[in-house]
Amino acid sequence: MRSILFKCLVVIAISTTLFSCKNDDEIIPVNPLEGLVKLKEGYASGASAKVEIWGRKNFFAGYNNLVVVLLDSTNTKDTLKNAHIHFAPLMTMGMGTMAMQHACPIENPDEAAINGVFPGALAFVMPTSTDGSWKLGVAVHNHKNDKEGQANFDITVDNPTPSVLSVFTASTADATKLVLSLVQPLTPKVGMNDIEFTLHRKASMMEWPAETGYTIEITPEMPSMGHGSPNNVNPVHIANGHYKGKVNFTMTGEWKVNIVLKKDGVPVKSDAFFNIIF
Amino acid sequence: MYKKIFFLLLIIFSQLCNAQESTKKNLSADTVKLKELTVTVNIPLTNKNVVDFYRTNQFSTLDNINARLDGMSLIKRGAYALEPQMNGFSGGQLNVTIDGMKMFGACTDKMDPITSYIEPSNLKAIKLKSGTNCSENGCNIGGSVDMTLQEPNVADEQRHFSSVAFGYESISKSRNVLFSVGTGIGKWAWMADGVYRKTENYTAGNGQIVPFSQFEKTNLHTALKYNPDKVNSFKADVLYDIARNVGYPALPMDVSTAKASLFALEYSRKAIVQLKAKLYYNRVIHIMDDSQRDSLYLLKAKPVGKSDSVYMRMDMPGRSSTLGAYVQLIIPWNERNRLTLKADNYTNNSIAEMTMHMRYAGFAPEPAMYMQTWPAMLRNVSGVYVENSTYLSPKLSVTANARVDYTIDHLQSQYGQDQFSVFNYSLGKVQRKLIKSFNLQAQYQIANDMTITATAGHSERMPTIGERLGFYLFNAYDGYDYIGNPYIKTEKSNFLKFAFQLSKSVIKLNVSPSVSFLSDYIMGLTDADIAPMNFYAKGIRVYSNVPKAKLLSMDMQLLYTPLPHYSVFWLSKFTYGEINGGEAMPLIPPLKNVVAFQYQNNEFQLQAECESALSQHRINSSYGEQTTPAYSVFNVKSSYGFLLSKVALHFSAGVTNLFNKVYYEHLDWGRIYRPGRSLELYLKVSY
Repeated sequence: MRSILFKCLVVIAISTTLFSCKNDDEIIPVNPLEGLVKLKEGYASGASAKVEIWGRKNFFAGYNNLVVVLLDSTNTKDTLKNAHIHFAPLMTMGMGTMAMQHACPIENPDEAAINGVFPGALAFVMPTSTDGSWKLGVAVHNHKNDKEGQANFDITVDNPTPSVLSVFTASTADATKLVLSLVQPLTPKVGMNDIEFTLHRKASMMEWPAETGYTIEITPEMPSMGHGSPNNVNPVHIANGHYKGKVNFTMTGEWKVNIVLKKDGVPVKSDAFFNIIF
Repeated sequence: MYKKIFFLLLIIFSQLCNAQESTKKNLSADTVKLKELTVTVNIPLTNKNVVDFYRTNQFSTLDNINARLDGMSLIKRGAYALEPQMNGFSGGQLNVTIDGMKMFGACTDKMDPITSYIEPSNLKAIKLKSGTNCSENGCNIGGSVDMTLQEPNVADEQRHFSSVAFGYESISKSRNVLFSVGTGIGKWAWMADGVYRKTENYTAGNGQIVPFSQFEKTNLHTALKYNPDKVNSFKADVLYDIARNVGYPALPMDVSTAKASLFALEYSRKAIVQLKAKLYYNRVIHIMDDSQRDSLYLLKAKPVGKSDSVYMRMDMPGRSSTLGAYVQLIIPWNERNRLTLKADNYTNNSIAEMTMHMRYAGFAPEPAMYMQTWPAMLRNVSGVYVENSTYLSPKLSVTANARVDYTIDHLQSQYGQDQFSVFNYSLGKVQRKLIKSFNLQAQYQIANDMTITATAGHSERMPTIGERLGFYLFNAYDGYDYIGNPYIKTEKSNFLKFAFQLSKSVIKLNVSPSVSFLSDYIMGLTDADIAPMNFYAKGIRVYSNVPKAKLLSMDMQLLYTPLPHYSVFWLSKFTYGEINGGEAMPLIPPLKNVVAFQYQNNEFQLQAECESALSQHRINSSYGEQTTPAYSVFNVKSSYGFLLSKVALHFSAGVTNLFNKVYYEHLDWGRIYRPGRSLELYLKVSY
């Protein structure tokens, strides 16, 4: 009995030494899926690819950072590193002849995978409701075998509280319909936070291009205390309709970030806001 | 040979004794001996006389004694825990220590000065030093208050004692119980003392009750002493103080609990070279409470669309603990010189938090709003102090002292760093600073009973945690939220003091004018770019360095004994302060006089006192100050003591504010009226 115990200990000790030696030399790979959950999986028939969609939480109305993982459907151990992915979201409202369909702003992933996955984004402009349901198509052009196919998913888009989406009609002559989404801060903290928005325009039911020529002014406020915070930095356009700035929170609680959206120096929307609670 | 050595030692020793005699006079510190009994005929007037004079006040709080010390004024926010101010200096500008031990209040709003955790019954003496010449316990610019704790008697005849006393004050229905007890066997001696006080809201001279002026407190102190021989002695002290339900009428909130505990170990060696070493730890917990207050003040600017009734509650706990030690050596290195060396180190850990809970009637509670009004910070200060007294002639002596303090501020909380990123600061975790102080004092004996002393010095002081990292600290006096400045400079002072002392047996007189030329004076300046945090705050003030400021003070004490049994005591204090070369410095009291007549015959004592202050028109209105009218208040007290076999009874009765004057002092926040006429009764039974 004792000798068995001793042998076990020796084995454990040796293996530990070996493993620890090995670990020292190894570079720990980045896990691109860390903190994410698998939301959907399915096959893009024709492209011999299995499509997985990962996100921080279930789809919600607003800007969703999503990660697409492509697996070779013939050998699902093998991930595809090079593919052209196109999101095709579709909201169907009403029934029969009254039915109406529209898409939402999309940011398709690059053709080359980053850390083996394809990050992209979707800004759902409304949640799933009793008279409207979302489908998400993921078209894949598999560069490995040069085949194309599409995976289709029925998805539910949640309505988060507080809302991170503002869809409105700008007070411009052409009454542009705009979609303003709050991208950051995902985990707000006391102190200085990065704040990021995306701005898209509804060009048609299916076309929602990014808008780059606006200015955004932010004024954070704590409604129950009647105060704001100093030294905020108004977001400026970076790329693809993304606007980045800084927002300051002096304490935890319920904050309201008031937004004035301007085009050529003229306000086109003055009463938009996002509540941030932490 | 041995004879020679003995003779030499004798000479040195006699010189030492001489030296000590002269240093006693040399001390600029006024020592209040609360219990010491030896009185020589020609000692100069010290605060001992003051306290002797107010013996009938025995059950009063420490604040009552402080109010009658020279140069000392009190900032009042309620009936309890008045904040000491010396010659216009307060807060971080004063070294307030207990037997040289550092202790810091845990309240961001200065509601718990260290004096509030100490009771007169705990004390043997209070030592005051003014100006920069206070650096024995740390570099500072305004002065020092060092409170010496009561200790057990080792002398056999005074070893066993016990007493219990009861006091009552009609105006606040204040009930007080005090006790002290001591005993000893062989080389050991032990004592304990304590107080329990409970007061209700007091009534002002106009008959109106002042709400939130109540308090209740318990204080216990015990000390154990071991003297293995005549030279060495060991002492241990434990002090515990808890105040509950303390009202602050001048503030928007009260205190549910203020708790302090202190532990100290001391070794002292009384030989030719004297040594004193001390190790200590203390902890303060201060919990503010607004549950008794009306929160509807927010209604004035309520957000649109919300209901009428709003409930806003704040939890504001503060914690401060200090661990420290010091070693002090007094070396008479030749017959004319005496050297004092002191090395000390302490570490203070402070944090104060605020959580606000908001609820509108008919709505769910809003998410809690949390912030750290003092982000968790650890401050370590190491210091070295050197003092040398030279007796140039029997009439002239010169004392020089110097100190350096090395401070390391370690910001422990990431939260604190994040909070300050709001103001565009990227704070380092650690800040280091070396500060210094040096003073020169000369004392000359003009005649047998006449001395003049001149002091000149320079010192700087570290900004307090609140001044460095305070985060939205509401000041009820000026109605502003205060924010710290992480990179605020140290406050500096050049100090001059002149003192004249006359000590005849009939008349004793102290006159001491002094002036402090301050640079980088720390005060809050309005920053219009930052919005206040509350509906009721007027704006934001950021602690800043004002380039120049000046404080002038004149203190006078007179004790006149024209006839046996009859004496007159007169205390007068005046301070003048200015900032920016002319503007009035805020919170400077006007000229104040206390004049008392006393008749004493054996154990009977009768005393009439008049306390008066001029009006204060020299104010700083941008700080929110208003003028204060003049007042005079009269108090009468009498006491009688007698022996009933082995039991001594001491009875006293008095009336304060005899004419029911409606008044407040200039340093009273919120212009809250002081108590009206009150009957005081006191009975002490000692065995």
